[in-house]
Amino acid sequence: MLKKRLVGIVTIRNGWAVQSFGYRRYLPLGKAEWLVENLDRWGADEILVQVIDRSIASSGPDFDLLERLGNLGLETPLIYAGGIRSVSDGVKAIQLGADRIVVDSLLHGNQESVKELSIQLGAQAMIASMPLACEGDTIMWLNYRNGISTPVMSNSLDLIESGMISEVLVTDWLHEGKPGCFDQNLISKFPLQEVPLIAFGGLSVPEHMSALLYRNNVVAIGVGNFLSYNEHSIQKYKEALTDDFLRLSNYESNYSLLADV
Amino acid sequence: MSYTTVGIIDYGMGNHASVMHSLHALGFRVRVSSKIEILNDVDVLILPGVGAFPSAMQALNKLDLVGYLQKQAQERRPIIGICLGMQLLAGASYEYKYTTGLDLIPGEIVPLASSKSHIGWNTMECVQQDQQLQLSDGQSFYFNHSYRYQGPDEYQICESRYIDPFPSVIRRGNIVGIQFHPEKSQTAGRLLLGNLIAGMVNA
Repeated sequence: MLKKRLVGIVTIRNGWAVQSFGYRRYLPLGKAEWLVENLDRWGADEILVQVIDRSIASSGPDFDLLERLGNLGLETPLIYAGGIRSVSDGVKAIQLGADRIVVDSLLHGNQESVKELSIQLGAQAMIASMPLACEGDTIMWLNYRNGISTPVMSNSLDLIESGMISEVLVTDWLHEGKPGCFDQNLISKFPLQEVPLIAFGGLSVPEHMSALLYRNNVVAIGVGNFLSYNEHSIQKYKEALTDDFLRLSNYESNYSLLADV
Repeated sequence: MSYTTVGIIDYGMGNHASVMHSLHALGFRVRVSSKIEILNDVDVLILPGVGAFPSAMQALNKLDLVGYLQKQAQERRPIIGICLGMQLLAGASYEYKYTTGLDLIPGEIVPLASSKSHIGWNTMECVQQDQQLQLSDGQSFYFNHSYRYQGPDEYQICESRYIDPFPSVIRRGNIVGIQFHPEKSQTAGRLLLGNLIAGMVNA
């Protein structure tokens, strides 16, 4: 049976892994490689590295970081997000070690490149990022580059529905970093109920995660900041959610727990 | 002491560090190359791949590796295809357009029945006896694909279920295709790769 996934999310700003709060406030955590290696060792189902200052500066993906992460020889699938401007950017991200890529700005302004990327990499490698917030009954989509929210454009929905994109990363950006605050209306009111969704932003409480995982259209949940507050967070979340379609908890250590007899 | 050397075929589709890391962790020597003289000198060939079928065949053709791989298969050298590499072993694919493959295992690559991508951790069940793969029966592995193998039952060794059952490992003698990513499947993937390679080399 196909399991749902717990995705460990690492946010990078100015070259450092950070905790992010509502896309406004940031606290440094350390080197990206350290966090990614830990998630790999702890048995995350996927690792998503999002570099949040590349789109705004139009500086392209952080290829140096990707190369360093690729060379770690991770045993966990790696998803890369941040600054993908063109087909060649996306292809290079995969060549350097990403298994899948997230497109955001391209969805707003260059859908032909999204289609071409899907043809070259396969739809399974393509994830659409949608930072969303509810305003009354309307779901508003934040354009990360200019900070303006608008209703979700129908041509973007058409593109997603066409099968060029495999999953949508729905980020509750208003509640990102706030414990237990993910707005479930973003999922129940998402315009395409048949499209697989990854929910992220303010997810810290197992009961809330469980409620999301019970929804047919939620195939994964992403956790970022809250992995940094306790040791072995991935295992603890997995233990709490094992009945909710997640793969069993996995932990690898360099130190044997068996007595040397 | 003799080491088993595994050759990863580098044809520009994806990054090979994870496969290399898994193989090193298992104690194998690894060469990554598209050069025939280097690939001739290894015990097992691995054809990895992330991407779409037509681009991958184009890349293999450009490097003159299609004829080479077909010749190696005739000479019964062990070949393992991973994910897209597994699909390339088939006769043809319908991904975006009809494209002929390496034709090392009879069959075709067709869209998944659901027309959706199959992404995530899923269990593999052995449906035929296979000494090396049996050890991983029931384990979970990471899948990331939108197309599947369709061909004669005799080549379908393991299957997984995503709405309908589909082949997750195919085999024709010394040629094995793995639909999932063992190199991205943590301990379970490493064990499967280790057993498979050791078994193929010692067969």
